[in-house]
Amino acid sequence: MTLTESPTLLVAGIGEMVLSSDPDSHLVAYGLGSCVALAAWDPDRRIGGLAHFMLPSGPTGSGGPVKFIATGLDTFLQALQGEGANMSRTLFKAAGAAAMLTLGKGISIGQRNHEAILAAMAERNLALAANALGGSAGRTVQLEVADGRFLIKSLSSTTEI
Amino acid sequence: MTRLVLSEAGQSVVSGTFSRAMKHAGEALASMSGRRVEVQAPELRRCTAGDVITMAGGPEYVVLAIYAAFAGSLRGHALLLFSPLDAHRLARILVSDLRHPQEPSPTSGVLLSFDELELSALQEVGNVTISAFLNEVGMHLHEPISPTPPQVVVEMVGAVLDAVLLDLVGESDQVLAAGTTFSEGGQPIDGTLFVLPRPESLPILLDALGAAGI
Repeated sequence: MTLTESPTLLVAGIGEMVLSSDPDSHLVAYGLGSCVALAAWDPDRRIGGLAHFMLPSGPTGSGGPVKFIATGLDTFLQALQGEGANMSRTLFKAAGAAAMLTLGKGISIGQRNHEAILAAMAERNLALAANALGGSAGRTVQLEVADGRFLIKSLSSTTEI
Repeated sequence: MTRLVLSEAGQSVVSGTFSRAMKHAGEALASMSGRRVEVQAPELRRCTAGDVITMAGGPEYVVLAIYAAFAGSLRGHALLLFSPLDAHRLARILVSDLRHPQEPSPTSGVLLSFDELELSALQEVGNVTISAFLNEVGMHLHEPISPTPPQVVVEMVGAVLDAVLLDLVGESDQVLAAGTTFSEGGQPIDGTLFVLPRPESLPILLDALGAAGI
C-alpha cells in the first residue's frame, strides 16, 4: 500500500488499510459492526492511516492485508513507518467491536476483537489515545489527515474522539 | 482450512433447491400478510464478505434486519432485510387488525423507530419466512433444520452483516450467498432474504441433493 495523493476520500474495506499524507484526504471505514477500525495519525508528519480489521487471528495468507489483528497490526505499523510516521508520536484511536446480534454460545466476535486490539497494542507498547469500542451500535469512522480529527457516525449521532 | 468447493453443476442443483425454498418462503410471507408476493429467482453466488455487503445495498445502507442462525444437518445464517420504510409498510399491514382504526402508529413519522407490536410482527415475518425456506431444504436432508429465535435490528448493512460474515470467513475467504427479493402486490414492499450456509455444511447438502461429486 502506498501513499495516495489525489483522492479526497479513501475507503478501507473489510480487511484493508489506507494511508495518506494528502491534507485533503479523509480515510473512511463504512458500517463497522464487530470489525475494528484503527486510526493512526502522526501530528508532525501529518500522515494518517486507517486499518479495518476483521478478526483477532486466523490462517495466514487469506483475505486482505489486515484481515487479522494478530498479523495485520504489524503490517499496518510497518506501512506507516515506511511512509515516514514515527511510532513514538503517532496517535492511535480505535472504534468498532460492537455486538448487535447474538450468533451463538460464548463471547461475541465483537468482544473478542475488542480484547484482541487492546492486547495487541499493549504487546507493542502502544496505547490508544481514545476509543469507541464495544456497545451494540454500528459505526462509520473517518480520519481527517489534515488535523487528525477522528469522527464516529452511528444512526443516532456523530461524535469526535 | 475449509475450502468452498462447489462445481457449476453442484451450484445448479443447490440453486434449484434454494429456488423452491425461496418460493415457499415467499408463499409463507404472502399467507401472513394476506398480499400477493412475488419472489424473484434467487441469485446463488460464491463471493467475498465485501460482495455480500454490496449485494445487500452497501455498508452504510440502513435496513431493518431479521436474523436467525440455523443448526442441524445444515448450519449457517439467514437474514431477511427490509428498508425501514418497507418494514413500516409491512408492519402496518400485519398489525392493522390489532389496533383501533383511529389509533395512529406510535412511531408514525419516525422512520427508524418501531414499537413493540411492530417489532414482534416483523420478528414473526422473519420466523415464518426463514422457517419456510429451511423446511423445504430440510425435506431433502431428511432431518429438520432448526432456526434460532429471530432477532430484529435496525442498522447499517455493513454492521449487521459483518458479525455474520466473520463467523464464515475465518477459515475461508469465500461464502456461498443465496439472495432473493420479495415484492408484495399493490403497494410495493421489497425484502431480501440472504441464506449463508457454513462451508462445512455444503458437502452434506450436496450429498443430500444427489449432487455430491458432480
